Amino acid sequence: MTIASNVKQCVSSLKGVEAGLSSLALRTQDDESKRILHETMLVVNEVRKDVQKRVGELEREEPQYKGF
Amino acid sequence: MPDWIEILLRSFFFLIVLFLITKVLGKKQLSQLSFFEYVTGITIGNVGAELATKVEGNIIHGVLSILVFAIAPFIAGLISLKSKTFRDLIEGKASVFIKDGKVMEDNLKKEKYTIDELLGLLRKKDVFDISEVEFALLEANGDFSVMLKKQNQPVTPKDLNLPVAAVKEPQTIIMDGLILDEPLSTIGLNRNWLHTELDKLGVILENVFLGQANSNGELTVDLFDDKLKVPSPQEKPLMLATLKKCQADLELFALGTESKEAKEMFSKNSEKLQKAIDNVAHILRN
Repeated sequence: MTIASNVKQCVSSLKGVEAGLSSLALRTQDDESKRILHETMLVVNEVRKDVQKRVGELEREEPQYKGF
Repeated sequence: MPDWIEILLRSFFFLIVLFLITKVLGKKQLSQLSFFEYVTGITIGNVGAELATKVEGNIIHGVLSILVFAIAPFIAGLISLKSKTFRDLIEGKASVFIKDGKVMEDNLKKEKYTIDELLGLLRKKDVFDISEVEFALLEANGDFSVMLKKQNQPVTPKDLNLPVAAVKEPQTIIMDGLILDEPLSTIGLNRNWLHTELDKLGVILENVFLGQANSNGELTVDLFDDKLKVPSPQEKPLMLATLKKCQADLELFALGTESKEAKEMFSKNSEKLQKAIDNVAHILRN
Protein backbone atom coordinates (compact mmCIF):
# COMPACT_ATOMS: atom_id res chain seq x y z
CA MET A 1 0.00 0.00 0.00
CA THR A 2 1.33 3.36 -0.94
CA ILE A 3 0.58 6.62 0.71
CA ALA A 4 -1.55 7.54 -2.29
CA SER A 5 -3.91 4.63 -1.79
CA ASN A 6 -4.09 5.33 1.96
CA VAL A 7 -5.02 8.93 1.31
CA LYS A 8 -7.62 7.81 -1.21
CA GLN A 9 -9.09 5.46 1.38
CA CYS A 10 -9.27 8.34 3.83
CA VAL A 11 -11.11 10.44 1.27
CA SER A 12 -13.74 7.77 0.77
CA SER A 13 -14.17 7.31 4.53
CA LEU A 14 -14.68 11.05 4.87
CA LYS A 15 -17.22 10.93 2.06
CA GLY A 16 -19.11 8.18 3.86
CA VAL A 17 -19.13 10.07 7.13
CA GLU A 18 -20.29 13.20 5.36
CA ALA A 19 -23.26 11.39 3.86
CA GLY A 20 -24.06 9.70 7.18
CA LEU A 21 -23.97 12.97 9.11
CA SER A 22 -26.15 14.60 6.52
CA SER A 23 -28.80 11.89 6.68
CA LEU A 24 -28.67 11.85 10.49
CA ALA A 25 -29.13 15.63 10.56
CA LEU A 26 -32.23 15.27 8.41
CA ARG A 27 -33.71 12.54 10.58
CA THR A 28 -32.95 14.09 13.98
CA GLN A 29 -35.90 15.83 15.61
CA ASP A 30 -34.04 18.12 17.99
CA ASP A 31 -33.02 21.45 16.43
CA GLU A 32 -29.80 21.88 18.42
CA SER A 33 -28.53 18.41 17.49
CA LYS A 34 -29.59 19.04 13.91
CA ARG A 35 -27.48 22.20 13.81
CA ILE A 36 -24.39 20.56 15.32
CA LEU A 37 -24.64 17.60 12.94
CA HIS A 38 -24.98 19.91 9.99
CA GLU A 39 -22.00 22.02 11.05
CA THR A 40 -19.88 18.92 11.52
CA MET A 41 -20.95 17.76 8.08
CA LEU A 42 -19.72 21.06 6.60
CA VAL A 43 -16.35 20.76 8.36
CA VAL A 44 -15.93 17.20 7.13
CA ASN A 45 -16.79 18.43 3.64
CA GLU A 46 -14.05 21.10 3.77
CA VAL A 47 -11.48 18.60 5.05
CA ARG A 48 -12.50 16.13 2.37
CA LYS A 49 -12.02 18.73 -0.37
CA ASP A 50 -8.52 19.61 0.90
CA VAL A 51 -7.46 15.98 1.06
CA GLN A 52 -8.97 15.36 -2.37
CA LYS A 53 -6.69 18.06 -3.76
CA ARG A 54 -3.72 16.27 -2.25
CA VAL A 55 -4.85 13.07 -3.98
CA GLY A 56 -4.60 14.91 -7.31
CA GLU A 57 -1.04 15.99 -6.52
CA LEU A 58 -0.07 12.50 -5.46
CA GLU A 59 -1.46 11.05 -8.64
CA ARG A 60 0.73 13.36 -10.61
CA GLU A 61 3.76 12.21 -8.61
CA GLU A 62 2.89 8.51 -8.74
CA PRO A 63 1.03 8.09 -12.04
CA GLN A 64 0.93 4.30 -11.75
CA TYR A 65 -1.67 4.60 -8.96
CA LYS A 66 -3.94 6.84 -10.98
CA GLY A 67 -7.63 6.04 -11.12
CA PHE A 68 -10.57 5.91 -8.72
CA MET B 1 -91.75 -8.55 40.21
CA PRO B 2 -89.72 -10.96 42.37
CA ASP B 3 -87.19 -9.37 44.70
CA TRP B 4 -84.16 -10.90 43.08
CA ILE B 5 -84.94 -9.48 39.68
CA GLU B 6 -85.42 -6.06 41.23
CA ILE B 7 -82.06 -6.34 42.98
CA LEU B 8 -80.44 -7.30 39.70
CA LEU B 9 -81.96 -4.31 37.94
CA ARG B 10 -81.13 -1.94 40.79
CA SER B 11 -77.53 -3.10 41.01
CA PHE B 12 -77.10 -2.67 37.30
CA PHE B 13 -78.69 0.77 37.40
CA PHE B 14 -76.48 2.00 40.24
CA LEU B 15 -73.41 0.53 38.61
CA ILE B 16 -74.08 2.76 35.63
CA VAL B 17 -74.89 5.79 37.79
CA LEU B 18 -71.69 5.41 39.83
CA PHE B 19 -69.63 4.85 36.69
CA LEU B 20 -71.02 8.00 35.06
CA ILE B 21 -70.43 10.08 38.18
CA THR B 22 -66.80 9.04 38.58
CA LYS B 23 -66.33 9.68 34.88
CA VAL B 24 -67.69 13.22 35.26
CA LEU B 25 -65.69 13.96 38.41
CA GLY B 26 -62.56 13.03 36.52
CA LYS B 27 -59.18 11.57 37.23
CA LYS B 28 -58.56 13.74 40.24
CA GLN B 29 -61.10 11.76 42.21
CA LEU B 30 -59.09 8.62 41.49
CA SER B 31 -55.53 9.83 41.83
CA GLN B 32 -55.50 12.19 44.78
CA LEU B 33 -58.20 12.21 47.39
CA SER B 34 -58.50 15.47 49.25
CA PHE B 35 -60.56 15.50 52.47
CA PHE B 36 -63.59 16.43 50.54
CA GLU B 37 -63.26 13.85 47.80
CA TYR B 38 -62.49 11.20 50.40
CA VAL B 39 -65.71 11.90 52.29
CA THR B 40 -67.94 12.20 49.22
CA GLY B 41 -66.38 9.16 47.57
CA ILE B 42 -67.21 6.95 50.55
CA THR B 43 -70.73 8.31 50.86
CA ILE B 44 -71.58 7.91 47.20
CA GLY B 45 -70.40 4.32 47.31
CA ASN B 46 -72.41 3.62 50.44
CA VAL B 47 -75.61 5.11 49.13
CA GLY B 48 -75.23 3.17 45.91
CA ALA B 49 -74.67 -0.12 47.71
CA GLU B 50 -77.51 0.51 50.17
CA LEU B 51 -80.08 1.18 47.44
CA ALA B 52 -78.93 -1.66 45.23
CA THR B 53 -79.73 -4.25 47.91
CA LYS B 54 -82.61 -2.68 49.83
CA VAL B 55 -85.73 -3.33 47.80
CA GLU B 56 -87.93 -1.05 49.91
CA GLY B 57 -85.69 2.00 49.36
CA ASN B 58 -86.79 4.70 46.93
CA ILE B 59 -84.54 4.88 43.89
CA ILE B 60 -85.27 8.54 43.13
CA HIS B 61 -84.29 9.54 46.66
CA GLY B 62 -81.07 7.62 46.34
CA VAL B 63 -80.14 9.17 43.01
CA LEU B 64 -80.89 12.64 44.39
CA SER B 65 -78.61 12.03 47.35
CA ILE B 66 -75.84 10.72 45.10
CA LEU B 67 -76.19 13.76 42.85
CA VAL B 68 -75.77 16.12 45.81
CA PHE B 69 -72.64 14.31 46.92
CA ALA B 70 -71.31 14.35 43.37
CA ILE B 71 -72.07 17.99 42.65
CA ALA B 72 -70.53 19.24 45.91
CA PRO B 73 -66.92 18.25 45.10
CA PHE B 74 -67.46 19.36 41.51
CA ILE B 75 -68.37 22.89 42.64
CA ALA B 76 -65.71 22.86 45.32
CA GLY B 77 -63.20 21.99 42.62
CA LEU B 78 -64.34 24.88 40.47
CA ILE B 79 -64.08 27.39 43.33
CA SER B 80 -60.70 26.10 44.49
CA LEU B 81 -59.32 26.67 41.00
CA LYS B 82 -59.92 30.38 41.62
CA SER B 83 -59.31 30.89 45.31
CA LYS B 84 -56.18 29.94 47.22
CA THR B 85 -57.83 30.40 50.63
CA PHE B 86 -60.69 28.11 49.70
CA ARG B 87 -58.20 25.60 48.34
CA ASP B 88 -56.26 25.53 51.59
CA LEU B 89 -59.49 25.04 53.51
CA ILE B 90 -60.86 22.23 51.34
CA GLU B 91 -57.77 20.37 50.27
CA GLY B 92 -55.64 21.09 53.30
CA LYS B 93 -52.09 22.32 53.47
CA ALA B 94 -48.84 20.43 53.36
CA SER B 95 -47.00 20.20 56.67
CA VAL B 96 -43.24 20.46 56.86
CA PHE B 97 -41.71 17.53 58.75
CA ILE B 98 -38.02 18.22 58.22
CA LYS B 99 -36.51 21.61 57.53
CA ASP B 100 -32.81 22.49 57.25
CA GLY B 101 -32.15 18.88 58.25
CA LYS B 102 -34.01 19.27 61.54
CA VAL B 103 -37.19 17.40 62.45
CA MET B 104 -40.16 19.69 63.21
CA GLU B 105 -41.58 17.89 66.26
CA ASP B 106 -44.58 20.22 66.59
CA ASN B 107 -45.78 19.51 63.08
CA LEU B 108 -45.31 15.78 63.62
CA LYS B 109 -47.49 16.00 66.71
CA LYS B 110 -50.11 18.04 64.89
CA GLU B 111 -50.43 15.43 62.15
CA LYS B 112 -50.30 12.58 64.74
CA TYR B 113 -47.24 10.99 63.23
CA THR B 114 -44.84 9.13 65.52
CA ILE B 115 -41.10 9.17 64.93
CA ASP B 116 -41.32 5.51 63.82
CA GLU B 117 -43.84 6.41 61.16
CA LEU B 118 -41.66 9.28 59.99
CA LEU B 119 -38.69 6.93 59.67
CA GLY B 120 -40.93 4.49 57.80
CA LEU B 121 -41.99 7.20 55.36
CA LEU B 122 -38.37 8.14 54.80
CA ARG B 123 -37.41 4.50 54.19
CA LYS B 124 -40.12 4.24 51.57
CA LYS B 125 -38.23 7.01 49.78
CA ASP B 126 -35.00 4.99 50.11
CA VAL B 127 -33.62 7.23 52.84
CA PHE B 128 -32.30 5.31 55.85
CA ASP B 129 -30.15 8.03 57.34
CA ILE B 130 -31.99 11.14 58.51
CA SER B 131 -28.81 13.19 58.15
CA GLU B 132 -29.14 12.91 54.37
CA VAL B 133 -32.39 14.86 54.36
CA GLU B 134 -32.52 18.60 53.83
CA PHE B 135 -36.26 19.04 53.59
CA ALA B 136 -39.29 16.77 53.82
CA LEU B 137 -42.99 17.42 53.90
CA LEU B 138 -46.29 15.63 54.12
CA GLU B 139 -48.41 16.72 51.18
CA ALA B 140 -52.07 17.61 51.64
CA ASN B 141 -53.10 14.33 50.02
CA GLY B 142 -50.95 12.23 52.36
CA ASP B 143 -47.98 11.72 50.07
CA PHE B 144 -44.54 12.21 51.54
CA SER B 145 -41.92 14.19 49.62
CA VAL B 146 -38.23 14.32 50.43
CA MET B 147 -35.50 16.63 49.22
CA LEU B 148 -32.03 15.29 49.90
CA LYS B 149 -29.03 17.43 50.70
CA LYS B 150 -27.19 18.41 47.54
CA GLN B 151 -24.26 16.07 48.17
CA ASN B 152 -26.64 13.12 48.53
CA GLN B 153 -28.62 13.82 45.40
CA PRO B 154 -27.93 11.69 42.34
CA VAL B 155 -25.36 13.16 39.98
CA THR B 156 -26.80 14.73 36.85
CA PRO B 157 -24.97 15.46 33.58
CA LYS B 158 -25.26 19.12 34.52
CA ASP B 159 -23.26 18.53 37.72
CA LEU B 160 -20.52 16.89 35.67
CA ASN B 161 -20.60 19.57 32.97
CA LEU B 162 -21.32 16.77 30.54
CA PRO B 163 -22.83 17.71 27.19
CA VAL B 164 -25.73 15.41 26.34
CA ALA B 165 -27.76 15.08 23.19
CA ALA B 166 -31.36 16.13 23.57
CA VAL B 167 -33.85 13.33 23.09
CA LYS B 168 -37.53 13.52 22.32
CA GLU B 169 -40.04 10.85 23.24
CA PRO B 170 -39.76 7.69 21.16
CA GLN B 171 -42.76 6.53 19.16
CA THR B 172 -44.14 3.03 18.95
CA ILE B 173 -44.54 2.41 15.25
CA ILE B 174 -45.05 -1.37 14.98
CA MET B 175 -47.43 -3.36 17.15
CA ASP B 176 -48.15 -7.05 16.59
CA GLY B 177 -46.68 -6.91 13.10
CA LEU B 178 -48.83 -3.97 12.03
CA ILE B 179 -47.50 -0.54 11.10
CA LEU B 180 -49.01 2.40 12.99
CA ASP B 181 -49.07 5.28 10.54
CA GLU B 182 -49.95 8.10 12.91
CA PRO B 183 -46.93 7.90 15.27
CA LEU B 184 -44.76 7.22 12.25
CA SER B 185 -45.68 10.56 10.70
CA THR B 186 -45.46 12.30 14.09
CA ILE B 187 -41.76 11.50 14.16
CA GLY B 188 -41.36 12.63 10.56
CA LEU B 189 -40.77 9.24 8.97
CA ASN B 190 -42.66 7.12 6.49
CA ARG B 191 -43.33 3.50 5.52
CA ASN B 192 -40.53 3.59 2.99
CA TRP B 193 -38.01 4.42 5.65
CA LEU B 194 -39.43 1.71 7.89
CA HIS B 195 -39.16 -0.97 5.21
CA THR B 196 -35.55 0.06 4.52
CA GLU B 197 -34.67 -0.12 8.22
CA LEU B 198 -36.33 -3.53 8.56
CA ASP B 199 -34.38 -4.77 5.55
CA LYS B 200 -31.18 -3.48 7.13
CA LEU B 201 -31.96 -5.47 10.28
CA GLY B 202 -32.90 -8.45 8.14
CA VAL B 203 -36.32 -9.05 9.70
CA ILE B 204 -39.77 -9.20 8.13
CA LEU B 205 -42.62 -7.03 9.34
CA GLU B 206 -44.81 -10.02 10.31
CA ASN B 207 -42.19 -11.20 12.77
CA VAL B 208 -42.01 -7.89 14.66
CA PHE B 209 -43.96 -7.83 17.93
CA LEU B 210 -42.99 -4.29 18.89
CA GLY B 211 -41.05 -1.61 17.07
CA GLN B 212 -39.99 1.78 18.42
CA ALA B 213 -38.27 4.66 16.66
CA ASN B 214 -36.42 7.31 18.65
CA SER B 215 -35.96 10.95 17.75
CA ASN B 216 -32.68 10.18 15.98
CA GLY B 217 -34.53 7.95 13.56
CA GLU B 218 -33.17 4.72 15.01
CA LEU B 219 -35.38 1.65 15.00
CA THR B 220 -35.47 -0.88 17.84
CA VAL B 221 -37.51 -4.04 17.35
CA ASP B 222 -38.64 -6.94 19.48
CA LEU B 223 -39.40 -10.10 17.53
CA PHE B 224 -41.97 -12.85 18.07
CA ASP B 225 -39.14 -15.29 17.57
CA ASP B 226 -36.95 -14.61 20.60
CA LYS B 227 -34.24 -16.96 19.39
CA LEU B 228 -33.31 -14.54 16.60
CA LYS B 229 -30.77 -11.94 17.64
CA VAL B 230 -31.35 -8.40 16.39
CA PRO B 231 -28.37 -6.10 16.08
CA SER B 232 -28.69 -2.89 18.11
CA PRO B 233 -28.39 0.38 16.17
CA GLN B 234 -24.69 0.85 15.37
CA GLU B 235 -24.81 3.65 12.86
CA LYS B 236 -23.84 6.53 15.14
CA PRO B 237 -20.97 4.88 17.07
CA LEU B 238 -19.65 3.59 13.76
CA MET B 239 -19.70 7.10 12.33
CA LEU B 240 -17.85 8.44 15.35
CA ALA B 241 -15.24 5.69 15.01
CA THR B 242 -14.76 6.45 11.31
CA LEU B 243 -14.37 10.15 12.06
CA LYS B 244 -11.72 9.38 14.68
CA LYS B 245 -9.94 7.04 12.29
CA CYS B 246 -9.85 9.69 9.57
CA GLN B 247 -8.49 12.21 12.03
CA ALA B 248 -5.73 9.81 13.08
CA ASP B 249 -4.98 9.06 9.40
CA LEU B 250 -4.58 12.75 8.64
CA GLU B 251 -2.11 13.09 11.51
CA LEU B 252 -0.22 10.11 10.18
CA PHE B 253 -0.07 11.59 6.67
CA ALA B 254 1.18 14.87 8.13
CA LEU B 255 4.03 12.98 9.79
CA GLY B 256 4.72 10.85 6.75
CA THR B 257 4.87 13.43 3.98
CA GLU B 258 8.01 15.29 3.03
CA SER B 259 6.31 18.12 1.22
CA LYS B 260 6.07 21.04 3.62
CA GLU B 261 2.87 22.32 2.05
CA ALA B 262 1.13 18.98 2.35
CA LYS B 263 2.33 18.60 5.95
CA GLU B 264 0.75 21.93 6.84
CA MET B 265 -2.47 21.08 5.04
CA PHE B 266 -2.79 17.70 6.76
CA SER B 267 -2.08 18.97 10.26
CA LYS B 268 -4.45 21.91 9.82
CA ASN B 269 -7.21 19.60 8.68
CA SER B 270 -6.58 17.05 11.41
CA GLU B 271 -6.96 19.81 13.99
CA LYS B 272 -10.13 20.98 12.31
CA LEU B 273 -11.53 17.48 12.35
CA GLN B 274 -10.56 17.00 16.00
CA LYS B 275 -12.53 20.11 16.95
CA ALA B 276 -15.53 18.87 14.99
CA ILE B 277 -15.30 15.49 16.71
CA ASP B 278 -15.25 17.13 20.14
CA ASN B 279 -18.35 19.08 19.18
CA VAL B 280 -20.38 16.19 17.87
CA ALA B 281 -19.17 13.32 20.07
CA HIS B 282 -21.97 13.62 22.64
CA ILE B 283 -24.58 13.17 19.94
CA LEU B 284 -22.93 10.23 18.25
CA ARG B 285 -22.12 8.37 21.46
CA ASN B 286 -24.84 5.94 22.55
